[in-house]
Amino acid sequence: MTMTHKERVLKTIKGEPVDKMPAFTGFGAVLVEGLEKYGLRFAHVHLDADEMAKAAAATSELAGLEAIVVPFDMGVEAEALGATLNTYPHSEDLLYPTLRDKFVHTADDINLPADIANAGRVPLVTEAIKKLKEQYGEEYAVASWVLGPFTLAGQVMDLNELLKMSFKEPEKANAILDKLSDMIIGVGKAYIAAGADYLSLREMGATSDVLSPRAYKKQIKGFSQRIVEELKATGVPIVYHICGDTNMIIEDMAELGADAVSVDQKNDLKASREKLGDEVVLLGNINPWDVFTQGSKEDVQREVRASVEAGADAVWPGCDIWPTTSTANIKTWVETSHELTPRRNGA
Amino acid sequence: MGSDERKQELFGKMKEGVIEYDEDQVVEAANALVDEGFDAYEGIMDGLAAGMEVVGELFDSQEYFVPEVLMCADALYAGLDILRPRVDMTGREAVKGEVVIGVVEGDVHDIGKNLVKMMFEVAGFTVHDLGADVPIDEFVEKQINTNSDIVALSAMMTTTMMGMKKAIVKLKEKNPDVMIMLGGAPVTGEIADMFGADGYSENASNAVSEAIKMVAALRKM
Repeated sequence: MTMTHKERVLKTIKGEPVDKMPAFTGFGAVLVEGLEKYGLRFAHVHLDADEMAKAAAATSELAGLEAIVVPFDMGVEAEALGATLNTYPHSEDLLYPTLRDKFVHTADDINLPADIANAGRVPLVTEAIKKLKEQYGEEYAVASWVLGPFTLAGQVMDLNELLKMSFKEPEKANAILDKLSDMIIGVGKAYIAAGADYLSLREMGATSDVLSPRAYKKQIKGFSQRIVEELKATGVPIVYHICGDTNMIIEDMAELGADAVSVDQKNDLKASREKLGDEVVLLGNINPWDVFTQGSKEDVQREVRASVEAGADAVWPGCDIWPTTSTANIKTWVETSHELTPRRNGA
Repeated sequence: MGSDERKQELFGKMKEGVIEYDEDQVVEAANALVDEGFDAYEGIMDGLAAGMEVVGELFDSQEYFVPEVLMCADALYAGLDILRPRVDMTGREAVKGEVVIGVVEGDVHDIGKNLVKMMFEVAGFTVHDLGADVPIDEFVEKQINTNSDIVALSAMMTTTMMGMKKAIVKLKEKNPDVMIMLGGAPVTGEIADMFGADGYSENASNAVSEAIKMVAALRKM
């Protein structure tokens, strides 16, 4: 029996057999062609629930991507804690919003909102999720994502200060990470309550390009584990992602108890699969800029096949899809995935 | 103890202090170097920069990661603050020059930029640091106002590469002789060529490692 996109996506994350290998992501996939379809400006789609929902859904409508993901920028949690978002409204270029104030120096600088679900743009994102669920929820998976606490700390703190503190004064850094974990759990639960079908926890900054595997195990892993456990307790599948080459910590990532692990293009995926064995659901690891944005149809086909051959359960881009990517390349990703035999074949 | 032997001892202490991110040891050795009348420039190059070269090797071999490198950089700066005002330029080649450095608009990551800046400072450049999230026109204005020889642009994210392209076009338009360096995660050699830049470093780790290697290269000049 043919599955819906949503069934295919959720079963894949949970490691259950599917009729076809789905093409989806847990990160932003807004496209310029999608913005044009609805007459939207990139700098504004972060600020309006209806625009956000349309911009996200357009990629599925135009190219058949099987999950619809909001939000697109990394600023939601930090803004809800008091940072100022800059969306670069006057720029002619596509720029993702960034945060202006690095206002956290100790845990005391963090005031958790009493009602996280209604802080900053959290209610805007939940409204977008609700709209998407209503309009597309039967057919497509609707998903969202939150930052990991270390990555969020990098948004509200000077990164030099954070990195040195994590080394020289780990207890002080831990107090910050602990509070931020509470914030992330609150935001994640709000997205889940709004109807998100799965959630990605993106601890992008805790990459082994920056932090030693020892620092990851000592300082980052425990917080990630607490967040995964609390969010998973809601019954919604969780995907855990870290950027960069993560093969030195891939077993730790798998141990957190998330339903699936996502890795980016710097990872040797075959080595990740060998280290993890057959059971762990592994998503990855296309270079979204080189392959999807810059690549030809043949490049996309080749790279999708290569990721699956290396051991991916489904092909994910290593990061957000850059908006100038063509819908044609996204379609090729979807078509090529559908032609391949799923690792857990239920056809 | 002979004078040369003592000098080497102090260089060694500074070098080790940078590697072990021991600011106190670096400061103590740098002060002794100055008090005992040794050459400050040699101290910067054969003590501090030599230490950073080893840090670069430790980073490449994944013994050190970014936090360690940042602390080593702090130790280096502690020594540089003491030695740099004491550098006697008489009889040396002219001061290297001036450089405008910053992270392009849309990007707030400045660690790579700060390490490249350190490299320039070690080498004796005057550095005009514009910070992070800098609109393109500010680079152009600053270059014109200071007549700097080099403009170093940094971006960690793919999202800000297009800003770099525009900056290069504008900078070259106003001053075809200016040397442009790109650094940051998404900038590949091919893209640097495409954009008309003169130098680049390949990714986040490379930005760190390249900056340190540049210190090493400058030591040999």
